[in-house]
Amino acid sequence: MKLETVIQGRTGSIAIVPLPQGRGSAMPVVGSFRYEREDGRLAEGEFSIEALDSGAWSVLIGGRAYRVEPGAPGELMVNGAPLAVELFDPRASRQRHSSAAGHGRLNIAAPMPGKVVRVLVSQGDAVEEGQGLVVVEAMKMQNEMKSPKTGRVVEVRAKPDSAVGAGEVLMVVE
Amino acid sequence: MFAKVLVSNRGEIAVRLIRALRELGIASVAVYSDADRASLAVGLADEAAYLGPSPSSESYLRIDKILEAARRHGAEAIHPGYGFLSENAEFAEACAASGIVFIGPPPEAIRKMGSKISARRVAIAAGAAVVPGTEEPIESLGQAKKIALSLGYPVLLKASAGGGGKGMRRVDREEDLDSALREASSEALRAFRNGEIYIEKLVIEPRHIEIQVLGDRHGNLIHLGERECSIQRRHQKVVEECPSPAMLRYPELRAQMGEAAVRIARHAGYCNAGTMEFLVDANRNFYFLEMNTRLQVEHPVTELVTGLDLVEWQLRIAAGERLTLSQEDVKWSGWAIECRIYAEDPGNRFLPSPGKITHLGEPSGPGLRLDSGVYPGFTVPLDYDPLLAKLAAWGPSRERAIARLDRALAEYSIAGIRANTALFREILADAEFREGRLSTAFLEGLFARREPRESNLEMEAAAALATAASMPRRPAPAREARSEWLAAGREEMLR
Repeated sequence: MKLETVIQGRTGSIAIVPLPQGRGSAMPVVGSFRYEREDGRLAEGEFSIEALDSGAWSVLIGGRAYRVEPGAPGELMVNGAPLAVELFDPRASRQRHSSAAGHGRLNIAAPMPGKVVRVLVSQGDAVEEGQGLVVVEAMKMQNEMKSPKTGRVVEVRAKPDSAVGAGEVLMVVE
Repeated sequence: MFAKVLVSNRGEIAVRLIRALRELGIASVAVYSDADRASLAVGLADEAAYLGPSPSSESYLRIDKILEAARRHGAEAIHPGYGFLSENAEFAEACAASGIVFIGPPPEAIRKMGSKISARRVAIAAGAAVVPGTEEPIESLGQAKKIALSLGYPVLLKASAGGGGKGMRRVDREEDLDSALREASSEALRAFRNGEIYIEKLVIEPRHIEIQVLGDRHGNLIHLGERECSIQRRHQKVVEECPSPAMLRYPELRAQMGEAAVRIARHAGYCNAGTMEFLVDANRNFYFLEMNTRLQVEHPVTELVTGLDLVEWQLRIAAGERLTLSQEDVKWSGWAIECRIYAEDPGNRFLPSPGKITHLGEPSGPGLRLDSGVYPGFTVPLDYDPLLAKLAAWGPSRERAIARLDRALAEYSIAGIRANTALFREILADAEFREGRLSTAFLEGLFARREPRESNLEMEAAAALATAASMPRRPAPAREARSEWLAAGREEMLR
């Protein structure tokens, strides 16, 4: 099995081969691996992996112990250090993420779930870069969303006192 | 002593208080809003009372509902914890009027010391130095401009009824004064139902050191030493320690500040536990800043170093008992450091990160204290402060306390939401921190000088192996899956 990796923003790949006693399950319990990173650096050796009931994994590589635990979204904790980790199976159909920013239209999205406290501009308003657009409150903290550019407000979706989810588009600036 | 006490708070402090009550053989009553029905506190208490919908204005800030719950459950006293109604004199009065003991200072002392403006007057009357600034709430922009000009920029706007950095704004230029005043006032109004703002001169890069005081109802008043709380973000503390590294070089500072704090408390007619906050400049001048007329979030570091239980003393004092220790009996042993574990993203302006905790690995072992209010599967509500837990470590020296805390943080994993545990490991590893060179500008400095962490290849491989082990595999006939493995094996042999 060979998988593509993106770890801490760097691409690479890991090839995993089961040892005879590790065969029979989808992922070998013991095997050997070869991890190559885009900068040409390489780690390889024999490993043993154990999924623990706590949700963590114990990984032994050449007798050295690594405790891998779930972390913040998109991250794992390895021996207490956070690592941003993504894996892809190159044979599985991979969804291409197109960045549809398009023609200077910028979505102003809520950075966290919360409540709209105030809407500071109206549709059609001219705005300057850094000008406050909308105030969102969560966990007793108010966050003023500022315009990322000088332009015009083309759409206002946020309504005062309404609840919003993380990533929800509050307005569009052109 | 009381037979039953209601805890009018939530989260980790409610858990802390319920544990103390259990240890003292006192029955506990938890309260909860819709968001907290499944909270740890409700599960640990002997009894629990529903207050109302999630917004704190409809639950934890409702004096009528809390008193009604206390009456219904037959609680003799209420512990308010911190935040919410803990520094609300009307609440303390309403408790007394209902024949329920408020575990805290008398309402008059809350009034005197709860307002920063009146606390300044008390401190001045007690002969303590204060930061230059106004003593009256600001009434107009014109007045604010005049005062700011005479103090000299930068100035600090502060909420008269404030705490926790709410309603506080730094202003560097006159043209920013108008909007900062409006923001600070509306934030203060929402947080404390009091929009009064006053202005202070901003002391540049000060240390924030506070003194714990403890007094009974019979006039005995002592201090339990200091806590250094210089490391803050948005004027809210994130790391606290006792002793202060400043005391290492200048041991006389503790006695000087302690005496000043006791003097102010005496002037205010204060009893029960309270904290005097001071700014200490580079020349070790200390200025009284404000008083917190309640238990502090960071009280565990004082408890670890003095061996005293502050909550137990709060209960005993509220029940009318005498302080059985004198100033000479208070001894400080070793070093304790606490970090506040918040549901927030230090990588993105410390924005709060509410949501469900999908995995929780908690540290344990020698010299640690974890005061947590969460468990795996708990949903951190977006309605309240993002404090999840406090992790404190004790060691015989500062160096050992740091090593122990770092070890514990490496054992701490929180998934599903973002938390600030990794930032603490960076703070503990920082040379300035290790040398005890602290100021309230510490975090800004750290962010400016930190370098991207170089990760270890084998750690990355371990992370990739664990991820591969948990990847959903495409459903495929067993034979095909097997041949895949054989193919991989052959490929490997050919290399």
